[in-house]
Amino acid sequence: MAPLLEITNLHTEIRLRSATVHAVDGVSLHVEAGETLGVVGESGCGKTITALSIMKLLPTGGHITDGAIRLGGIDITALPEEDMRQVRGNEVGMIFQDPLTSLNPTMTVGKQIAEAVVLHREVNREQAMDRAVEVLDLVGMPKARERVNDYPHQFSGGMRQRAMIAMALACEPKLLIADEPTTALDVTIQKQILELIDDLRRRLGMAVILVTHDLGVIAGRADRVAVMYAGKIAESTDTGTLFRNPRHPYTEALFESLPESAAATRERLYSIPGMPPDLTKPPPACRFAPRCRYAADRCRAEEPQLLGDVPGHTYACFYPVGVTERRMGQVKAPKPEAVPMQTNGSAGPVLLSVRNLVKDFPVTKGAVLQRRVGNVSAVADVSFDIHEGETFGLVGESGCGKTTIGRLIVGLDKPTGGSIWYGGKDLARAREREYRRQRKDIQFMFQDSYASLDPRMRAGAVLSEPLVVQRMGNREQRQQKVAEMLDHVGLPRNAVERFPHEFSGGQRQRLGFARSLILDPKLIVADEPVSALDVSIQAQVLNMMKDLQRDLSLTYLFISHDLAVIRYLSNHIGVMYLGKLVEVGPADEVYLTPAHPYTQGLINSAPVPDPEEEQAKVHEGVKGELPSAINPPSGCRFRTRCPLAQDICADVEPLLTPFSLNGHQAACHFPLQDPVTTEGSAVTGVQSS
Amino acid sequence: MTTLPPGVDPGLAHGRTALVEAQPPDFAAGAVGAEKPRSLFARGWEVFAQNKLALAGLATAVFMVLFSFVGPLIYRTDQVHVNLINAICPPGGAHPLGCDSVGYDVLGRLMIAGQTSLEVGAAAAFVAVVFGALYGAISGFIGGPVDSFLMRIVDAGLSIPYIMILIILAVIFAPNRVTMIFVIAAFYWLGVARLIRGETLSLRTREYVQAVKVIGGGGMRAVTRHIVPNAIGTIIVQATFAVADSIIILASLGFLGLGVQAPDTDWGDMLAGGLQYLQGGNYWWLIYPAGLAIIITCIAINFIGDALRDAFETRLQRR
Amino acid sequence: MVGYLIRRVLQALVVIFLVTIFTFALQRLVPGGAVRALIDNPRATSQQIAFYTHLYGFDRPVYVQYAKWIGQLVQGNLGYSAKLNLTVTSELALYLPKTIVLVLLGTAVSLLFGIPLGLYQAVKRYTVGDYVLTGVSFIGYATPTFFVALLLVSWFAIDVPIFPPFAPQSTTVIGVLTQPRALVLPVVAYAFVLYALWSRYMRSSVMDNLVQDYVRTARAKGASERRVLWGHVFRNSLTAIVTLLGLSLPTLVAGAIFIEVVFNYPGMGLAFYNAAQNFDFPTLLGFTVIATIVTILGNLLADVSYAVLDPRVRYA
Repeated sequence: MAPLLEITNLHTEIRLRSATVHAVDGVSLHVEAGETLGVVGESGCGKTITALSIMKLLPTGGHITDGAIRLGGIDITALPEEDMRQVRGNEVGMIFQDPLTSLNPTMTVGKQIAEAVVLHREVNREQAMDRAVEVLDLVGMPKARERVNDYPHQFSGGMRQRAMIAMALACEPKLLIADEPTTALDVTIQKQILELIDDLRRRLGMAVILVTHDLGVIAGRADRVAVMYAGKIAESTDTGTLFRNPRHPYTEALFESLPESAAATRERLYSIPGMPPDLTKPPPACRFAPRCRYAADRCRAEEPQLLGDVPGHTYACFYPVGVTERRMGQVKAPKPEAVPMQTNGSAGPVLLSVRNLVKDFPVTKGAVLQRRVGNVSAVADVSFDIHEGETFGLVGESGCGKTTIGRLIVGLDKPTGGSIWYGGKDLARAREREYRRQRKDIQFMFQDSYASLDPRMRAGAVLSEPLVVQRMGNREQRQQKVAEMLDHVGLPRNAVERFPHEFSGGQRQRLGFARSLILDPKLIVADEPVSALDVSIQAQVLNMMKDLQRDLSLTYLFISHDLAVIRYLSNHIGVMYLGKLVEVGPADEVYLTPAHPYTQGLINSAPVPDPEEEQAKVHEGVKGELPSAINPPSGCRFRTRCPLAQDICADVEPLLTPFSLNGHQAACHFPLQDPVTTEGSAVTGVQSS
Repeated sequence: MTTLPPGVDPGLAHGRTALVEAQPPDFAAGAVGAEKPRSLFARGWEVFAQNKLALAGLATAVFMVLFSFVGPLIYRTDQVHVNLINAICPPGGAHPLGCDSVGYDVLGRLMIAGQTSLEVGAAAAFVAVVFGALYGAISGFIGGPVDSFLMRIVDAGLSIPYIMILIILAVIFAPNRVTMIFVIAAFYWLGVARLIRGETLSLRTREYVQAVKVIGGGGMRAVTRHIVPNAIGTIIVQATFAVADSIIILASLGFLGLGVQAPDTDWGDMLAGGLQYLQGGNYWWLIYPAGLAIIITCIAINFIGDALRDAFETRLQRR
Repeated sequence: MVGYLIRRVLQALVVIFLVTIFTFALQRLVPGGAVRALIDNPRATSQQIAFYTHLYGFDRPVYVQYAKWIGQLVQGNLGYSAKLNLTVTSELALYLPKTIVLVLLGTAVSLLFGIPLGLYQAVKRYTVGDYVLTGVSFIGYATPTFFVALLLVSWFAIDVPIFPPFAPQSTTVIGVLTQPRALVLPVVAYAFVLYALWSRYMRSSVMDNLVQDYVRTARAKGASERRVLWGHVFRNSLTAIVTLLGLSLPTLVAGAIFIEVVFNYPGMGLAFYNAAQNFDFPTLLGFTVIATIVTILGNLLADVSYAVLDPRVRYA
């Protein structure tokens, strides 16, 4: 049967003022009815432009210059705009990454969905609105009939994305294109949305193109995958085979850079050297050759075609890796030996201790006199210890308070209550002046390095500013120190002359890290330092952080929402939810034997780049939405979404109780493990939920 | 008065949906024409210079300055004593642009008037912008109730139709160049203050300003080393437009007879009798030279201001 | 929404308070003292001055005078013009309506051209049409209103006498409206500079909106460019204009003064100008206070309209 969508040799260019970017350079794909095709790659690989090309919604300056896109037999590249409009929203629907900006803020959600209906069906306004309610219901929006008259800003992120999906599906298209649909959402909501898309696909008999950079999402949701690199397809096959037996060196390298791959062993990740090629001047030979560890002369001279030795598995490489699949039987690549868990040996002395930390942000209302009408309880009585020389990972979703804690420790905000013990002093009580001296020891690494570097300062000035402020050294000594830092983070010495915008994302993160190192701190609080980076760059930065921790005897407080990264780096993990620390303990214990239902939910929701594991997941993830932080639920804050919740959870707040002798604690009335008794008996078996 | 909102360049997807990022050259790999890094000023100048209108504007502005200040040294006329015999003589011969209602040579008068217009315009703009920027920056940085209060004052000032106050002040105080400078600045600073305060508020929340606290720096450092330099762009652009606006305000007051007094004059003052003379006959030389001088100068300054705005934006917004 | 409005109203009251203080202070700057301005007799003896000083309460402490003045204001007493032998309030009643006619007509015309042409410029950006209109806008910015008026009179009333060089002289609004030909030039002159402002702003605002994500979503639904423009972009671009309108009230007043002077139109602007020539301070100050209050109310109205247009403000 002919595929639903067939792309043949697509070439798309973007003509900018100064140059032309060959964003898509000869891509061929096909999608069968009812299946999910995953298109995966890092930023700049052309996956989004490919998706936009199908809809012919290219940005200004974008043109399809060659190739054909056949939808149900008709070549839509040749279609005049009027007819294309009949295709958009009707036969092909598309959803985008950021639901907040992708919805018109001044139009009700219902009207926007109804618009999709009115454009393609002969109905009146009432009927269109009915359909809008119907389809909102279909996507799982509670109280659809009431909420249909609300505006986008009145919804949460997950609900907004559901509204977008409703809009795209209102006319029951045969194909849904989802461009990074969950990247802007929390992990638990992400799982809900991905499930929803899957469910709808089955119910409506749709095909889905899932464009993403997240290999875990691909592993769990895609039937087939196309891996893109530098505007071309590097490899294409069904999901299982891709993960089991990648043939293209890029795919293989990608897998090896994932923190999940080294989670158990904690060794260095493979990081792909260099950067993707400049697509304004596409190289004539194999595009991955400059960064490929197996590259040979032929690779640098000729361009490999997309071929395969088994139908259904194609790759563009002269010297593919993996195992030839000539035989019909599936080849199982041997799974790496499960390395026994590292015992988190004797931890060093406690470096920093947080006790009963509280931070409330006032919510004010009122015309002239700003009355405090409530508080956002961002951090509610959190206590934990950070040991010298270790990495403490603080993980949680948006609004859990992890970033706030980081800021409190570093002094960017003042705590409302509680203490931060460092060097025998309570930093929360310290006055500004004496605190400035202490500042040297605790430094901060920002998430968005682009925003955290003054665009008007050269890198050298950025790095030496901390030294100037702390009055350390004379000019020469400072320059010496700056050069030293640049060496540490792997930036060339001539970088001192450059401005922040002249660096790439990964390089800027290194610069930010160098700045946090320059005062020889003991503790570095890193707030989502790798979240905005591509996987291969992420690996570089993580390796750098690990190495420097060893070389300079650093201690890290690593804040992230990415469980895989946290698990890879951390010795201890703290899990936060809505301002509370719900579980804490040695990393492997928390990850492999979680005691708190939220931790379990989090682990289950986070997509893992292993199709078998993903398929085997039976846990439903975490239902529902994040409650308001201004009026958090009484008792246990997680109870509104917890499958095990009982009455007592609303009345009595659970306290942290120990689950092992290694400091594993969780706060739950109905934990998933058995707590240790005070006599110190060992943890009994593992309870599965 | 009439300040343009930031220009928009839709060619490069405006920030948010930057689907296509031009890759920065990998200087780290010692690659691709690792040019010597240029200062921000050099790059800004490059963008400015590419804008032909801006260059034309700059040339015109320079010409007007030379015309007004150097001109009288070359082309000497008597601009102090009236000469009623020559009243409204048509252009020709000794008076290329004719004479005005009291016998002054129009071309010469145009130069003298230019001096006043440009001087007062520039000075008023300078005073207004310096004061307004400081006021706004301090208010924005301190924040809280102090900021609210200071801004209420600005709001109050902005609610008063400035032209009325200017007229009243011009009636109370004998108008000369210096008083005109302060009278105009006294109202123009309000708009600048509000703008810079907004800018400061936005900059204050930038992470690189917060980073100053982390390394142990204080508020002073944050303001002087990070906020002000990043606001300078806006300030300079504002100052440029302020000059054009001030020239127009001065001219408008002069037209009403409430500007500088004889024998001093400005372009607007030259047009003061304009209406009567229109009706008496076709005395075009009493209308067009002065009016065109205003228009051409202000258009030139606006071109410069627009181009400066583009130059400042590109150099800071490169991704 | 209600909270937002209450906040705005309270802020407006604070502003009005500050303005009254300012205007009151201005009174005291009047040369020779406010008393002299009131009596308007250069030959007044010091005895007479003392008498009137006491009569009008100028010898009372400052805050008492201020309180008295505020009291008068609230009651609608804006002062008395000795030069014209009229109360300021009756002056207003005489002149204000005609100025309102001019301002409303002029602003309406400027918006009528400015908004659609700005939209057109944004849609057809970087074409010849866009550049030509941009040129027109630039001229509009750089030309003082009075000069536009002069030129129009020169071209269309004197050189080619299509329109009369003076505006309708009638003392009533109806009278004014029955002479439309005489209204053309004043209204056009008034509207020209404003047009430049709106069209430029609209162009920017629309261009800004056209590259937003929600426009891409609308296109992804299959909406035509026309629908995208009118159904989505237009409304979202209007909020910028509304804000600008609110901030432009002082400009509207200024324009009125110059147009009325050039065209000899018997409205508030001309009266204000004459008062300036005559050192008629009560009139000058009284008019200023009224104009200020109108501006503040206008800003409030703009804020309300903004809330109507932008639901994010309505349902914060």
